[in-house]
Amino acid sequence: MSAVHVAGVSKIFNQGTPKQVDALVDVNLTVEPGEFVSLIGPSGCGKSTLLRLIANLLEPTTGAVTVNGKTAAQSRLDQDYGMAFQQAGLFDWRSVAKNIELPLELKGWDKEKRAARAQEMLELVKLPEFADLMPWQLSGGMQQRIAIARALAAHPPLLLMDEPFGALDEMTREYMQGELLRICAETKTTVVFVTHSIPEAVYLSNRVVVMSPRPGRITEVVNVSLGANRSEDTRAADNFFSGITAVREALRGTHADHANAGAVRGVEDR
Amino acid sequence: MNKQLRRAAYRTGMFLVSIALVAVLWELYKVVGPEKGGKLFGVAILPRSNDTAMPHLWEMLSRYAEPEMRGPHSRQIWLVVLQGAWFSFRLALVGFVIGSSIGVALAALMTRFKTMERGLLPYLVVSQTVPLIALAPLVVSWGGKLHIFGFTWPRWLSASVLGAFLAFFPIAVGTLRGLKSAPAASLELMDSYAASWKQTLFKLRFPAAIPYMVPAFKLGASGSVIGVVVAEISTGLKGGIGRLIIEYARQATGDPAKVFTAVFGAAGLGLAMAGLVTLADVLLMRNRPKETTT
Repeated sequence: MSAVHVAGVSKIFNQGTPKQVDALVDVNLTVEPGEFVSLIGPSGCGKSTLLRLIANLLEPTTGAVTVNGKTAAQSRLDQDYGMAFQQAGLFDWRSVAKNIELPLELKGWDKEKRAARAQEMLELVKLPEFADLMPWQLSGGMQQRIAIARALAAHPPLLLMDEPFGALDEMTREYMQGELLRICAETKTTVVFVTHSIPEAVYLSNRVVVMSPRPGRITEVVNVSLGANRSEDTRAADNFFSGITAVREALRGTHADHANAGAVRGVEDR
Repeated sequence: MNKQLRRAAYRTGMFLVSIALVAVLWELYKVVGPEKGGKLFGVAILPRSNDTAMPHLWEMLSRYAEPEMRGPHSRQIWLVVLQGAWFSFRLALVGFVIGSSIGVALAALMTRFKTMERGLLPYLVVSQTVPLIALAPLVVSWGGKLHIFGFTWPRWLSASVLGAFLAFFPIAVGTLRGLKSAPAASLELMDSYAASWKQTLFKLRFPAAIPYMVPAFKLGASGSVIGVVVAEISTGLKGGIGRLIIEYARQATGDPAKVFTAVFGAAGLGLAMAGLVTLADVLLMRNRPKETTT
């Protein structure tokens, strides 16, 4: 059973009006359990839309989305996935531990069980002594780690991330990428990851799904052959650079019809 | 903590300074202002500075310690004013509780149903343009006709209802804005957890609304006091500060300082109500980032 199965999905906003937008057209994608898949492409290519369709925050216009063998709607109700956004989005009025407990609270867990799990998650993201602090007392990177802890609190098999490190500085960002790989390896979580950054996509993923806009569609899927054990040394490895080149070429290819597109707009080339 | 204490001391200091400033201006005008009032460009605009229109501050203050009326059994004014203020305070509190319940419920309803907001909001705005004086006798007569399940409408409840009438509007509008202030990403997060509308309301929307609700509740609190005082005056309800103001105002020619004792009492009443809200604010916001506290 695949973790995510997207079959013949299209998403059209404002259908039949002058403001009609073909956000996604005929998208097919299968993500296997334990896989790390990135969605990359310029603004407007529908990568966030695809993520929200998998999360059942949007309904597809045509086609079907299956998560863990269930309909997307059912797996949302069952909290089969956790989600993290570009803004950590922690609730200011809740302590760090209470923020992590939020999904468990909504599921109706009792207090002791919640507190134990929150502490377990804090240890997973290596902030065990931060339980009683308030979110605004943490740095941006720490807040994002808490957001990941919150997303994984219910031990969902799938993690959906929408540019989670986009607001962080480069140093913190690379550190967070390493941490995310470690956490996913420990928890055996499947990840679908939306990003603007080519190196980030290559460093993290088993496969990079390259998308293009107007209409939003998948143009190429790049397999990354970096193996399971990635470290800071990986960033200097030859096959890391060849992966980056492959993704970059795939992105440029999508722009062949837009003449003279030397650099791909909306995608960070660093 | 030390910093907070210093800030509180600074605020109290500024408050006292501003009161002293008004007092000085008052007495200064009594010295330089025209005794019989004055005209500027042919318009009577400068108030009279004589002792009937503007009694000295010390006369107002010393009046508190004197008996209310001539006669052997008269109580001292400070006690009468205090009792009147306490009476009105309880009515205003009832009005405030009714008004804020209605205001918050309306705001939640308008957040839940877009059509409610579009249909209801204009009526809420119109409701506030109805003069309170016109409404007061109506409420009294409607209330007087109510007899449901052995419940008879007490006369004072009309005053509270009018207080509620002034309180609910700012509370409804402020709470509505607050409930809608929850960030889209947070709402999406709650959706991703398949949270019910009620869970989203209580775990996200209301906590996010508090910085908007506090100033609205302060307006509502002073609104409830104004509503009760005006209702007391226009319905002739005895026992409250509104009644004292109208009684003492009639005696202003012979005893000009007297009415001010009741006016200050009403002002203190409004401050006390707003103070209650501030107290709730401090308790609710003690763990929030400092920028958002009001």
